[in-house]
Amino acid sequence: MPSPPSGASLDAAPLLEARGLTRRFGATIALEGIDLAVRRGEPVALFGENGAGKTTLLRLLAGGLKPTAGGVAVEGTDPRRAGAAARSRIGVVSHQTLLYGDLTAEENLVFFATLHGVPSPAARARALLREVDLAERGDDPVRTFSRGLRQRVALARALVHAPPILLLDEPATGLDARSTAAWRRALAEAAARDTTWILATHDVEEGLALCPRWVAIRHGRVADAGSSRGPEADRARARALAP
Amino acid sequence: MRRSSDLAMSALTVATAGSMAAALWLIFLVAPEERVMGAVQKIFYVHVPLAAITFLSVFLLLTGAAGYLWTRRAGFDHLSIASAEVGWLFCTLVLVTGPIWAKPAWGVWWTWEAKLTTTLVLWLLLAGILLARAYASTPEQGARIASVLGVIAALDVPIVYKAVDWWRGQHPIVFGPGKTDPLAPGMLAALLVSMGAFLLLFALLVAVRARLAAEEDRLAALLEAAARSR
Amino acid sequence: MSDAAPRPPGFVSASLAIAQKDLRIEGRTKETTLATVLFALVVLVVFAFAFGGDAVQRAGAGTIVPGVVWVTLAFSGIVGFTRSFRLEREDDALAAVALAPVDRGAVFAGKALANFVLLTALETALFPLTSVLLDVPLLAAAAPLALVVPLHTVGLACLGTLFGAVVSRLQRGEALLATLMLPAATPLFLSAVHCTASAIEGTPLAADRHWLLLIGGLDVLYVLVALLLFDAILED
Repeated sequence: MPSPPSGASLDAAPLLEARGLTRRFGATIALEGIDLAVRRGEPVALFGENGAGKTTLLRLLAGGLKPTAGGVAVEGTDPRRAGAAARSRIGVVSHQTLLYGDLTAEENLVFFATLHGVPSPAARARALLREVDLAERGDDPVRTFSRGLRQRVALARALVHAPPILLLDEPATGLDARSTAAWRRALAEAAARDTTWILATHDVEEGLALCPRWVAIRHGRVADAGSSRGPEADRARARALAP
Repeated sequence: MRRSSDLAMSALTVATAGSMAAALWLIFLVAPEERVMGAVQKIFYVHVPLAAITFLSVFLLLTGAAGYLWTRRAGFDHLSIASAEVGWLFCTLVLVTGPIWAKPAWGVWWTWEAKLTTTLVLWLLLAGILLARAYASTPEQGARIASVLGVIAALDVPIVYKAVDWWRGQHPIVFGPGKTDPLAPGMLAALLVSMGAFLLLFALLVAVRARLAAEEDRLAALLEAAARSR
Repeated sequence: MSDAAPRPPGFVSASLAIAQKDLRIEGRTKETTLATVLFALVVLVVFAFAFGGDAVQRAGAGTIVPGVVWVTLAFSGIVGFTRSFRLEREDDALAAVALAPVDRGAVFAGKALANFVLLTALETALFPLTSVLLDVPLLAAAAPLALVVPLHTVGLACLGTLFGAVVSRLQRGEALLATLMLPAATPLFLSAVHCTASAIEGTPLAADRHWLLLIGGLDVLYVLVALLLFDAILED
């Protein structure tokens, strides 16, 4: 089970912060007044039903979507002002793999490494493939991979620029046991390298296991929050959210 | 606040009706018949204002579209929708009244000279914008895509005109150098009043359509709020 | 893992990386090339039927051939532009590109460049095919064509990439690409047909200076407008 490196929560400024974050789609209010602070070394689990706003929140934090009101700060910087800098600090895994099916796993990683300006993209790609246990399939087109393998490549893609923050949108849904284990292993290694993440998940137990803090979203608002390591009551509240 | 805008709308409606009546009176009862073409020429009093206002609507469309892309304020999008729709309507009328006049005047229903071709291309561009809005998955996406297309269309119109001009050229020139027949005074008055009447009509239609768009937004927001509070 | 911190690539490097990625995918699948060349051949055959056996000889090569070629190019190009953005939507890879610290304009530049290369490849097949099927000697006009055609292909690639991106955001939007793009492409089309006719008929290009300036200007304008609007197009 991954645990944050000791002494990591002493940074004063949060790594990633949402302040009064609101997003409307036409007349629909997807998110309203979200305040969230993620500190270095303290990953957060994001719980909520389908349609609660988890994906929208992650997209806003990643900078792929602009807020209707409120703001995001990535290491203190506003992505609307310094978008490229903010984007280089974040890696994203979503339920779609965000990969090019006709390219090989290695080619995908080299491409994204190049886009992020990673030095020696080819070497980095091969190292990442080893990390997610896919070294022997590096030359196969991603189209030929099962969902589990694709998500592993997707995680490698998110890690290609070694971002301090990962945004994970239900990455392990539909994965078999072997892929889920490989996932958790990769996440543990990321934690050891001081990577922090927000993990949106339906699986409350997984969320509690992988993240010291949790936040629950309902109807676009923060409904509840708590710690996964502290009082049992907190964890019970989280489990009560599960449908 | 609503009452003053209602008042303005009513005033505009009355002014439009009044000026239209005046225009019709001048066109049919005061302006002399044109020597060569007779009564058919009277379409000129309708066609010219319609054409001029169509191109005014392109300018408004550009303002609304660019304004929306820059500020994302709904008001700009309402202007954009209204000027695209009403502009397309006026454009259709130009393309209908033109050939009716052209056949007796030039002997052909249509010719590929610069003004006609540009108007036809504009009609297609506006139709495309309206179609794209219908295909959008959310109103916000529709607004954004339509704004992008609106900017492209508006920038394209002068270029299309110039390009077709180099390619052909044959429209009768009404004002300015090269005009063949000076307008009789009665005709000028009829044209100017007609222009004013159609301008007011255009303003009225755009205002109504923009307000409709605003009301639709308000309704959607109210429905949404009601659904959430349940 | 290397010790140097990542430095985001510049606009040109990012565009080239994206263009290279598109061309590599095309090189592997060859789907776009096959689809467009086959479509072009079909359109040419339809034109041959439409204009009757010796229509070209009677009317003169310069009257019919430029129109046939550019209409074929426009519609075959549309097949290619559609595919260019469809491959981005399959697994939403474009979202990952948008998350990289690169200017969204680089996405336009890269894809337009790739589309330009693919269009040029199509043209190297189309012109000889036209020459053969419509029985028109084009080799003599090769030099002026070599100037005129690429100039206009740049404009076509830019417009196609721009509108391709727009329709890729709409549901079932691909059906709209021709309807939206072709009216806007009027000046490009007029210029292309005129200049190609001049090239085929042997008129010196100096006589068409204003057209060439127009298309040059249009190419620049399309690029600028696309770079300006691409952010808004790719949003959400």
